Amino acid sequence: MAMTKSQRRISYAAFRYLVLTFWLLVVAFPIFWMVSTSFKPDREWFAWPPVYISENATLQNYLAVWGDVTTHSVDEQTGEIKTYAQSLQRPWQALGNSALISVIATTLSVLFGSVLAYGVSRYQILSEGRMFQLLMLRMVPPIVLVAPISIWYSALGLLDTILGLVMLYFLTTLPYAVWMSKSFIDEVPREMEQAAEILGASRWRTIWEVVLPLVRSGLVATFLFILILTWSEYLLALLLSKAQIVTLPVELSKYQGSTEGRVYGRQAALSVGITLPLIVVGMIIRKHLARGFSFGMVRR
Amino acid sequence: MAPQLNSRAATRAQGVRRFKWTVLSPLIALMVFILLPAFVLQGYFSFFSFSIFDAGDDTSFLSYFRASEWVGLDLWKDALTDDKFGFAIIRSLLFAVGVTVGCFVIGFALALLMYRPFRGQGFYYIFFILPMLTVPIVIAYTGEMILYQNGPLNDIIGMVTGTRSDAQFLYKQEVALTTIAAMEIWNWTPFSFIIMMAGLASLPKEPQEAAQILGASKWRIFWEVQLPLLRPVILLALILRFLESMAEFPKTWGLLQGGPGSATETIPVYIFITAWQFFDISYGAVLSYLVLFMMMAIVMSAIWLLRREKKSLDAMYETKPQEG
Repeated sequence: MAMTKSQRRISYAAFRYLVLTFWLLVVAFPIFWMVSTSFKPDREWFAWPPVYISENATLQNYLAVWGDVTTHSVDEQTGEIKTYAQSLQRPWQALGNSALISVIATTLSVLFGSVLAYGVSRYQILSEGRMFQLLMLRMVPPIVLVAPISIWYSALGLLDTILGLVMLYFLTTLPYAVWMSKSFIDEVPREMEQAAEILGASRWRTIWEVVLPLVRSGLVATFLFILILTWSEYLLALLLSKAQIVTLPVELSKYQGSTEGRVYGRQAALSVGITLPLIVVGMIIRKHLARGFSFGMVRR
Repeated sequence: MAPQLNSRAATRAQGVRRFKWTVLSPLIALMVFILLPAFVLQGYFSFFSFSIFDAGDDTSFLSYFRASEWVGLDLWKDALTDDKFGFAIIRSLLFAVGVTVGCFVIGFALALLMYRPFRGQGFYYIFFILPMLTVPIVIAYTGEMILYQNGPLNDIIGMVTGTRSDAQFLYKQEVALTTIAAMEIWNWTPFSFIIMMAGLASLPKEPQEAAQILGASKWRIFWEVQLPLLRPVILLALILRFLESMAEFPKTWGLLQGGPGSATETIPVYIFITAWQFFDISYGAVLSYLVLFMMMAIVMSAIWLLRREKKSLDAMYETKPQEG
């Protein structure tokens, strides 16, 4: 039986909602499971059949991860006190270090990247070939350089310091900062700068007071986009830190290595804490995400 | 008048040059003082055998040089005949190709279903970008909670099929790498999705309308009008995803440390094990250099491809106003 046009349209719409809703479930389930597990008491972490939504929801995991460990992790059933590799746990320090490192590195990257992008956009201070070569800083896997860098860092006294990580994060995110802010600066008409120039403003003043304020929202998007990258970086943070500093992803991986076995609820509680800021940030810049990695390939 | 203009242009050019070097100096400084010495050190240790154990208790920088000894090309020869390294390369390539194709197919399909406005578009979009905003190491551990033998995935499979399922997704050699690839696809499909959405949304309408008027079917319009116009964006989505998954580390290492057996020993994991578990700095340096050469070749051809596409795009957009 041949379908009429409107029937076809309805069945297409139904098909679309079916597929999209299926993928929605695939996407949402792990996140749901992480949040749900973070509220489960110890005995439900490994229960069979699995507990989807705990009826005995508790904040115990959050208190144990973020609060005072010894007073809050007494198992109600066995009375056993859990001390999961306590000496290794430094969540608040990790939060502080992570925030400091990613904010400093991202700020530098965006500030420097946007001025560079201005130079490229207006004066072609880097040729297009060089602009693409810049991408290599990001595209070559960091693992191939991290061993010699750690040796060199130990000689310079930069190993296990915030500055050491900041410099590398700056270098590896710079290509994105330049490309993304350039896409915004390219759209700004030049008349304003020319006016400022005629009025006698120096080049730097023109940049600070005319150009960058005009692309403010674009720079915020660039900042948040790069913040996502630096916040979740794992390899460099793992290999270039020892006792002095620790970032959140590295802190989380310590739970996996702990000898007391898996502590799913605790991991989940920490995971929620790490992920939440990124989701907020991502929602703010969701319209600009495509620019972050389109390198001028998507035109409007 | 003319000489004055010339000298003005000259001061201007000088100003631009000064601006250029001021802006570039921090970048150049970091490359010269951080990256370059690292390359040189890497080169040195690839000819002078050294492992952290050789230095004993003395962990000062200079002791590394005192403890290293000249071995010439021996380590390079070892690396080129190292089966484990060869397998790591094959594994990484398979992993990267699988992940790239997986992300692209799902991301493109979703984008095709979604790029025209419909009720609920914004709602689905918000959910679909979530995985990209979840930290990779978090995905690794959350994945383990879900995939573990008595975990929810087996429960759901059991509910659907009606029999108790206790499949092993992680600690079985045959499937471990595929499982990690599935997590990586889950993680990064949003990337392909976002790029393809932006690409589809930015397509010029005129060629499609023209084809429609000429009576072309939807399929023909897709294959012969939309797809060729999307080529630069498609290439971008494929290339970036491929390069990033070649370097994937948090999930493979964080979850399985190369195991079970060596089923998930990809290039980054193998180098990591060599340099950080066996502390064989020299062999790690040789492997790193080989991988660096390989990746440079791949990256340069990728960049060449991207530049070619961008040039054709630029040409297209420059001529357009004159036509219209």
